[in-house]
Amino acid sequence: MSKDQIIEVITRNLLENIDDLDQSAINPESSMRDYGANSLDIIEVVSCSMRELKIKVPRSELAEVQNISQLADKFLEYVNA
Amino acid sequence: MMNDRDILKYSLADFGHNDNDDVLAPPQDFLTWIKDPRVAMAFQFFEQPMLAAPTPRTSLRTNLDGVTRQMINLTSYNYLGLSTHPEVVAAAKAALDTYGVGAAGAALLSGTFDQHELFAEELARFKQKDACVLFSSGLGGNMGAIQAILQRGDVLVIDDKCHKSLIDGAKLAGAKLVSFAHNDANSLDETLARHKGKRVLVAIEGVYSMDGDLADLPAVVEVCESHGVPIYLDEAHSTLLFGENGRGIGEHFGLEDKIGVSFGTLSKSFGGVGGFVCANENLVRYMKCYASPFQFSCALPPAIVAAMRKSLEVATRDSSLRDAMWENVHYFRKNLESLNLDLGESASQVIPIIIGSSGEHLIMMAMAAQQRGLFLQPIDFPAVEAHARRFRISVSSQLTKQDIDEACNIIEDVIARPLGRV
Ligand SMILES: Cc1ncc(COP(=O)(O)O)c(C=O)c1O
Repeated sequence: MSKDQIIEVITRNLLENIDDLDQSAINPESSMRDYGANSLDIIEVVSCSMRELKIKVPRSELAEVQNISQLADKFLEYVNA
Repeated sequence: MMNDRDILKYSLADFGHNDNDDVLAPPQDFLTWIKDPRVAMAFQFFEQPMLAAPTPRTSLRTNLDGVTRQMINLTSYNYLGLSTHPEVVAAAKAALDTYGVGAAGAALLSGTFDQHELFAEELARFKQKDACVLFSSGLGGNMGAIQAILQRGDVLVIDDKCHKSLIDGAKLAGAKLVSFAHNDANSLDETLARHKGKRVLVAIEGVYSMDGDLADLPAVVEVCESHGVPIYLDEAHSTLLFGENGRGIGEHFGLEDKIGVSFGTLSKSFGGVGGFVCANENLVRYMKCYASPFQFSCALPPAIVAAMRKSLEVATRDSSLRDAMWENVHYFRKNLESLNLDLGESASQVIPIIIGSSGEHLIMMAMAAQQRGLFLQPIDFPAVEAHARRFRISVSSQLTKQDIDEACNIIEDVIARPLGRV
């Protein structure tokens, strides 16, 4: 699975969890917070995405992640593990 | 899915979703994780039986080696020592003789005794609200109050560091749950702007339980007033401790009249068990009809209520208990500061010692502390952020200077030295 495909999964889950968000507005170099996601929303987006990708990245590993692209990199390590 | 190298990176944050086809079994990888000896070592700190009262000197049968030790207790929430106060214990005993052990019913039907009625009035007067409803636990109080106040389509806005009982209350209510950055008025303002037009309630805590810092109540009040949104204030760790008369953080900041709903628990400074919610009379009447933990659960035992009435009286007839606690807080802090420890933003009797990101260090230090006779529980991710794992001290009025000196000697040896702070 490629990083782009992972970003697609994260973006779709972000759209499902945040009201009034336009897909074309989402830039992977941004943080979900930039689109109005609060910490509870982010937990939900991360959970849904990991379940879909059938991976389990330790939550403690996600603390330093700053943006969607970095999250996808982290997921990628586990998808291809 | 979980490789051996990663076992220690996983935490309770990772197993909340169960995909096991067997409904009566936990997730398979949860079992692999929790049975790993390195993880099991950390879990030994949970549910260690105490064999004496939760006072500064107590007796603990530690799970580490099964040995019963005399310990200096820095973990219990018995901030004013009321759980063993002679007058409080005497009030409980006398009420036991009169009423027996249980309430034998839910409050609406047969669980209300004169003690409950009197205590609710006393608490409402104390918190300067019209009325008060008692719950059998603090958690039930928060869940029940939020359940009754909000519904589907409404929004509960909480501080990022709020307690689970408020989160669960929103779930029970079916309300949307949104959080704002901890104590950040701008983040609150943006969050409220995003939910204009909805029925919204903002919930915050007086003292945050893992950090011991205070709510920035003046800023929260200003933002909430500008949006016309009411405030729900959880004073679990501040009632009887803050303010000229011990009424809490609302009184401390002179803003009690700006608080829509005031919550407190009887399990911490009061030294007992139970929760209470104070608000205007109509809202209290309504909550009693729609809060499940009130309606569908047995009322507090009358003897506990009688004891808690005595706790309120003892803690408010003068300021001696809270003065003693604050003196200990200042003395303890001075000692910890001289060890160059990171105490975060604490401004209360809850003092964290933040040790950093290593869960293994945390557990090694906790074991050493316990072997030296210090009951100081480790607080690990996800209860706190992964980069800020910690110990958390609950300062009690009952501690002597000698207890604190002895505790600080152990803290110096088992925490400050390994961290290279001294
Ligand atoms: C902020 C806060 N609210 C509510 C509760 C629940 O209170 P109780 O333990 O009395 O049920 C607690 C403590 O556990 C708490 O820390």
